[in-house]
Amino acid sequence: MIRARHHATLAGLALIVLTNAVALAGAAFNRSGEPQGTLRLTERELSVPYVWRSKKEDSGLTLQLHWRSLPSERHDSIGYGNVYDEAGSQPEWLDARKMVALGFAAQAPSDVHPVNGTSRYLQQLPREAFIVLELDGPAYQESMRRAEQEAAALEASIKARGPGSPRALERSSPPSELRSRLFAVDAGLDRDALRSKYPDRTKYAIVRGRIRPTTGDHASDAGGAIDSLSAGDINVPLPLRPVFDGLSSRRYGDPGKPAARFDATVVFGQRSEPWLASAARR
Amino acid sequence: MAALSRSDAQRRVDDIRIFRDELSRVEAEGVLRLEGAQRAALDRHHDTLLADLKAAFDVDRDSTAKQLSLGMRVASFIGALALAASVFFLFYNFWGYLPTPAQVAIVIGVALGSLLATVAIGRHDATGYFTKLAAMVTFACFVLDLSMLGQIFNITPSDKALLPWAALAFLLAYAYELRLLQVAGILCLCAFIAARVGTWSGMYWIYFGERPEDFFPAALLILLVPCAFDQSRFAGFAATYRICGMLALFLPMLVLANWGSTSYLDLDRNLVQGLYQTLGFVGTAGFIWLGTRRDWKDVSNTGVALFVIFLYTKLFDWWWDWMPKYVFFLLMALAAVLLLVVFKRLRGALA
Repeated sequence: MIRARHHATLAGLALIVLTNAVALAGAAFNRSGEPQGTLRLTERELSVPYVWRSKKEDSGLTLQLHWRSLPSERHDSIGYGNVYDEAGSQPEWLDARKMVALGFAAQAPSDVHPVNGTSRYLQQLPREAFIVLELDGPAYQESMRRAEQEAAALEASIKARGPGSPRALERSSPPSELRSRLFAVDAGLDRDALRSKYPDRTKYAIVRGRIRPTTGDHASDAGGAIDSLSAGDINVPLPLRPVFDGLSSRRYGDPGKPAARFDATVVFGQRSEPWLASAARR
Repeated sequence: MAALSRSDAQRRVDDIRIFRDELSRVEAEGVLRLEGAQRAALDRHHDTLLADLKAAFDVDRDSTAKQLSLGMRVASFIGALALAASVFFLFYNFWGYLPTPAQVAIVIGVALGSLLATVAIGRHDATGYFTKLAAMVTFACFVLDLSMLGQIFNITPSDKALLPWAALAFLLAYAYELRLLQVAGILCLCAFIAARVGTWSGMYWIYFGERPEDFFPAALLILLVPCAFDQSRFAGFAATYRICGMLALFLPMLVLANWGSTSYLDLDRNLVQGLYQTLGFVGTAGFIWLGTRRDWKDVSNTGVALFVIFLYTKLFDWWWDWMPKYVFFLLMALAAVLLLVVFKRLRGALA
């Protein structure tokens, strides 16, 4: 028994050392070589978590990456893209054809199960894919165009119905200077192919994410939505902590004050895992 | 001394106690009477053996000591969980104030240090209670270690982390005969296999719980472990594998028996539910039979519990809404009586 325990101890020590070595080597590999993207972000894209001050028992700080997607104009019910939520809506580019390219089974004409009444297409579980994030590019410009269009429509509506009208309240949204300029613009299974399509590494980062099937009212609306990104939370190392000290989350509030109180550079490494390279107060 | 482990020693002590009780009875009934020298030699031998076993393994010599030991086991289980949670929260309290190299050094150092502490405690702790506590903390520290590295370096979560966790849990469980860590190892292994099976269909690993059938290969593997590898040197390990394997097999089946839409099978939902209900009843009945035949009390008891759960969930599903409650509960009671009759007959037939 004593000998067996001796062997188990040695095996346990080796296991702990080896596992940590593998994890640290993976982290080192991620940060070596040419990164998958180096984005200069602001508080619009990175926010201090809403609850971090109340998390008294957790001394660490993790920033949340905020990104949006642009639905087709026909389905853009809120206007100017997906304003509040990173996930949920169906981006215009994530259509049925793209879903098949990502490995999902296509929506068959007889998609609805004859007895159960459920959609076979929607029953497919989320899959992992590489997702291209675009910073301050055409998708963001398009969202601004829609925002202006919507603002004009809103102003006309208020004039017609009065400022307290339900429609005016319903359409109130975060001020534009708080909205993220980071948009999910493409996805694929081959990261190199995506990189050759989006070569600018200061504007496009390729990250891992999960995609799930969605459908609209019509069969032709079958497509997908981004469930979440693996790079959704970014740890703040100790040397950069002073930049965020005293900041509380005000993502959906405090209009009138400057939206971005800091600038930060986030690097996405060889394994598409991000890290905070630098940060400074404005 | 032939005893290999504390469990073996305890079994020997229990056997001696039972033997002495029965010997006193047959002597009182006049069936047997040992000569004075024989009796003295036997008593001396047993007393020496008991003293040696008590010194080496801190075994319980009577039923009072056994009851106290049960209390100590409960206390050490709660203590182990509380201490593991304490380590987690202690680190979370301070890690944000440390530079990255210090964070990494601490999480790795604590995992290695707690393992060495477990070894040191195990050398001096004949009861095993303190060793169990230390081993649980070691496992918690290793889980914390990999989780924190993931958080510090924003590493994409992976199901592969479950494998080293399972390996360490099994190592500690076998080295110190700790069934709690055996269960932890089984859970990690079960989750890993289910995640791998789930990814064969293309889904992202974290959604493996959405398709209960993903657990079936893991359940079969766990059930086969005590058949393939002799566990007789480790008290209760074979039973733990069998119980965990049965739960991993029949709990997903219970989910499928009630929510057929979560199945991989592209069939009528009611058909899927009916299929898994049938498999559930037949399977649990089969395990009850097997447990009775092989004298595996753990299997027959778990089988009975699962069979009753299958039966009562089905009765609830069928009758709760349209039947007056007093009739429903009356039928439940009748079902229980029927089960008692069936089990009594089964026991008689197999006796």
